[in-house]
Amino acid sequence: MAEIANYKVAASPHKKDSATTRRIMLDVLIALLPCLVCGVVYFGLYALMLVAICVATCFASEQIYNLIRKKPFTKDLSALVTGVILGLNLPPRAPWYIPVIGGVFAIIIVKMLFGGLGRNFANPAAAARVFLLLAYSGTMTSFIGADISGNILGADGSTGATYLGGGTAALAESFFGVEGYWGNVLQLFFGSIGGSIGETCKLAVLAGGVYLIARKVIDWRIPVVYILTAAMMALFCWNSAKEILLQVFSGGLLFGAFFMATDYATSPKWKINRILYAFGLGVITMIIRRFGTYPEGTSLAILFMNLLVPAMDRFLLPVRFGQRTKKGTPKPQVMKWSMRGLCIALAAALAIGTPVIAVAEYNRPAEASLPAQYRYIRTMAKDRKGYYYFDVQGGAAITDSYTQQLEYKVVIDMPGGTVTEIEPITQSTMGYTAELSLFVGKTYGEISALSGEDLSTDSETSATLTNTALQGMVEECFIAADNDHNGTELIASYNYIVGAADSAIFGGRTYLVKGVADLSEYNYQQQLLYSVSVKDGRISEIIPIVQSTMGYIAELSLFIGKNYEEVAALSDGDLSTDSDTSATRTNTALKEMLLECLLDYDVTANGLTLPENASRIRAAGNSSAFGGVSFLAEGYADLSEYNYRQPLLFYINIRDGKVSDILPLRQSTMGYTAELSLFIGKTAEEVAALSDGDLSTDSDTSATRTNTALKEMILECFEITGGDAA
Amino acid sequence: MFTFSNGVHLKDCKGFSAGETISRGPEPETVYVPLLQHIGRPAVPVVSAGQRVLCGELIAKAAEGLSANVFSPVSGTVKGVVGHITLSGKKLDHILIENDFKEEKAYLPPLSSQDRPGILARIAEAGIVGMGGAGFPTAAKLGTDKEIAVLVVNGAECEPYITCDHRIMLEFSEELLEGVRLCMTACGAKEAVIGVESNKRDAAKRLASLADGGIRVKELKTRYPQGAEKQLVYGCTKRVIPEGGLPSDAGVLVVNVHTALAVYKAVRENTPCYERVMTVSGSKTDRPCNIWVKNGTLYRAIAEFCGAHEDCARIVSGGPMMGEPVFSLKICATKTSSSLLFLGENECQSDAAEPCIGCGRCVQACPMGLSPVFIERALFDKKYDEAEAFGAAQCIGCGCCSYVCPAKRFLMQSVKLAKKNVQARRARERERAQQNNGEGAEKTNG
Repeated sequence: MAEIANYKVAASPHKKDSATTRRIMLDVLIALLPCLVCGVVYFGLYALMLVAICVATCFASEQIYNLIRKKPFTKDLSALVTGVILGLNLPPRAPWYIPVIGGVFAIIIVKMLFGGLGRNFANPAAAARVFLLLAYSGTMTSFIGADISGNILGADGSTGATYLGGGTAALAESFFGVEGYWGNVLQLFFGSIGGSIGETCKLAVLAGGVYLIARKVIDWRIPVVYILTAAMMALFCWNSAKEILLQVFSGGLLFGAFFMATDYATSPKWKINRILYAFGLGVITMIIRRFGTYPEGTSLAILFMNLLVPAMDRFLLPVRFGQRTKKGTPKPQVMKWSMRGLCIALAAALAIGTPVIAVAEYNRPAEASLPAQYRYIRTMAKDRKGYYYFDVQGGAAITDSYTQQLEYKVVIDMPGGTVTEIEPITQSTMGYTAELSLFVGKTYGEISALSGEDLSTDSETSATLTNTALQGMVEECFIAADNDHNGTELIASYNYIVGAADSAIFGGRTYLVKGVADLSEYNYQQQLLYSVSVKDGRISEIIPIVQSTMGYIAELSLFIGKNYEEVAALSDGDLSTDSDTSATRTNTALKEMLLECLLDYDVTANGLTLPENASRIRAAGNSSAFGGVSFLAEGYADLSEYNYRQPLLFYINIRDGKVSDILPLRQSTMGYTAELSLFIGKTAEEVAALSDGDLSTDSDTSATRTNTALKEMILECFEITGGDAA
Repeated sequence: MFTFSNGVHLKDCKGFSAGETISRGPEPETVYVPLLQHIGRPAVPVVSAGQRVLCGELIAKAAEGLSANVFSPVSGTVKGVVGHITLSGKKLDHILIENDFKEEKAYLPPLSSQDRPGILARIAEAGIVGMGGAGFPTAAKLGTDKEIAVLVVNGAECEPYITCDHRIMLEFSEELLEGVRLCMTACGAKEAVIGVESNKRDAAKRLASLADGGIRVKELKTRYPQGAEKQLVYGCTKRVIPEGGLPSDAGVLVVNVHTALAVYKAVRENTPCYERVMTVSGSKTDRPCNIWVKNGTLYRAIAEFCGAHEDCARIVSGGPMMGEPVFSLKICATKTSSSLLFLGENECQSDAAEPCIGCGRCVQACPMGLSPVFIERALFDKKYDEAEAFGAAQCIGCGCCSYVCPAKRFLMQSVKLAKKNVQARRARERERAQQNNGEGAEKTNG
């Protein structure tokens, strides 16, 4: 046998795992790739340039440091990993020097000065990000919205708020057709929102994270416990199950959990300590987000927990196999079991808390939008049982010089029609308080019937005045609740009507009308808001909500009990109820509002079903005011040469096969109005026969276009009557 | 499946030799029989140069204290006591015998009483030592005063490549079980558990089908270091050997399956311990095999017998995890040489160490719950208190930490060095304390 000569003598173990430092760093780079790609797709090549600058800076500063300190060049890829992570942490439109400063800080100050690879006291990327955040707060928190379509090279972009900074207002109303909450979640998940380059697309982050866990590069405990803790904190800090996904998918939490919190040198070495570490991360992140002034807390939390790691490593040690206490009994595995308990508690809190809070949240009153500015009501919320929650503010004028500020919370059970609760927030502190029992449990009718005598609960007038004010507030609450609860969708965009309801309180149809008394001679526009009820084609009730507080108020008796014809017949003379013009102007405005209400009533009270292809007709009904069939038609005069579309709204009445009445509700206010005489009294054939020449009534095209649009509307009306007759 | 915490999962590489039945090994022309093949003191030669000895004849007697008899593995002529290198690098005394190939055998006298003292005496007489690798004289182990509830028999064989215990369990099942029964008698245990890793299910099944009378076979998870004493006892019995204690402190004793076979041979066949089954394996051998190798056979003879390739990258005596590197083929086999591996370039790694990246894999891998990364840092900073706090003194040298280290650091060696330093410091402190006590005593006397 030939001599065996060229063998090596080396220390055991002779076999080693295939993992190497370079391979690990390469795996991290591979895992970061999806984030980088998404960042570039969303934020353009400028973002790629920022990451490239950052990587180059990190690599160069490490090698220059080695050169100066006369150390060998480092060949592991850790500087590149730091560079990519920090680069992906930057806002997409940061100036070029930001990655340079950040890269030098991360590598020189945080890493090399503390001993290089594996000896850094904090995650270099997280520390550099926090440094930049403190030094360049404005730059580091101005984000742009994600934009897949274009502007791929430009250095500008429209500023985009993040969910953490701007709440749900920063999110789109619908995301690829999914509306509301789940749309928001999907938008956050796919990252089509403002944020740092690499952190917005959660799908990419998760893909990278799963790769790292599958390759056993990172310990799953850190991201999983971190995310679960953050979810639990979101649930309880915001008391909302919806917040869980919104918070977890917002900001840099996922990116930090997978790529930054798991940094080897600055996370605990023992797996059980990692659970405690990740728990701390989750708690601190969410506390900063919820209670701190910074919208995002991930990198701050990572930096803070990094500083605790050496203490955890030194004092929370694994129990050795066979280790004994000083008494000679087996040493209990305190950390192991308490961390297991923590995980179970975490899972249990989420599993139990989420459905409980979700149900409570479902039944919790939700803010409802008010159609107009009410006199007393500041906010309105409703829950799913039909309870309405109002925050009302007002004043009781006790003397000429003193007005007692009043604020109450009022709860109205709308299906029951009663006040269930009134909670005083602000009222007299001297005992002149409202007598709540006068109102609680009563209906609208009972409350509005309360006379001055009923409200006099004290010899002085203070409490009485408070009661009177509260009466008005509660009445307003009823009107607002009634309008919302029994509300129907408006059939067209009216000039005055902002709400319509089949009222439970007044019967018939109740409209909320908003307008302006034009007191331009006093340089003043008086806002007006009335609740108007129409029954059998006649005005049955008008309740003023907002009008002049100085006595120039509408004379309601002019209108009550009248139908369209009677209201329309009221002349300017009839409406002049004061020597000044203020009340007169109010009356005039109210007349216009009422006419709109009566016309709406006319087309909806005996409504006909519209054919599905009706494009301009919003409603049709057998008219009680005019006889025949009434229509409400909405459309546009297409003045594309002026780059303008004039909205049109006409009330059209057709009787005996002829156009009998046309009432313009909205058209040009500059005189380019429809020539109604072209159409009145004509049959369908006659209208159809009107040529373009016939319709040209002005040298401009505006009126002509209006005429053309009106012709189309009238023809559609005829079509419907024809179909109806057949 | 029964197991312990942490450890590593290894590719077992046992396929080379697992199917090879145990056969006769090389018949060497000369043997260098080491006087020290065990823990304790070297045996004292009882033969002189020129004397003719038979195979199985006593050539060196156990010294006072912890020691073991040594027998001639061949029939032939003693050439004298010579210094010869050993695996540890030290030159130690060996008895050089020239083989006359007559294979004349000598036997121990028949045993009169087969009770506990009789068997213990025979085990001592036959020079049996722990054949799993430690080489602790078996008679001293089994003769403990402590009450032993369970005898744990180590059939785990967790190191990759090695298959000698596996083959013994398959081919000498009945003899092995009889040996276990004799060991039970010798230590007074009523119960015995044979722990076998799940990658040797055929052996476990065979033993389980034959086992009776308090002997159970337990299948253990295939995980390194399943065969380490503390881990094996825990896996088989859920008993924990306390730190710094012996298995007998937990009411157990551990013997290797090969030791049990040797006990059988000594008691029933009156044959002393002068040869053992050895696995020769690795990709750089023509004939991986399990062979009977006589003590004192040169590794060169084994290499020739198995057709070792000249381009092998590393030669290892023992398993790839804990085995010693062989630096010369003049080293000879002993009672504890369980395997000889001829490894190719792709079977062993020798990367240079890089800076620690602090990944903590060593902490997760350590079956003793130590923190090798911090022990190493403490060692470099000469902070031995800290090294002790991280458990340096409890290292069993399994090498899991070095195995998993992505920076390829020599963690096991660092921890062992820290252990040595920590133990030396402890010894010094004890000494100082004793001196202080002594001085105090003298003063009171005075």
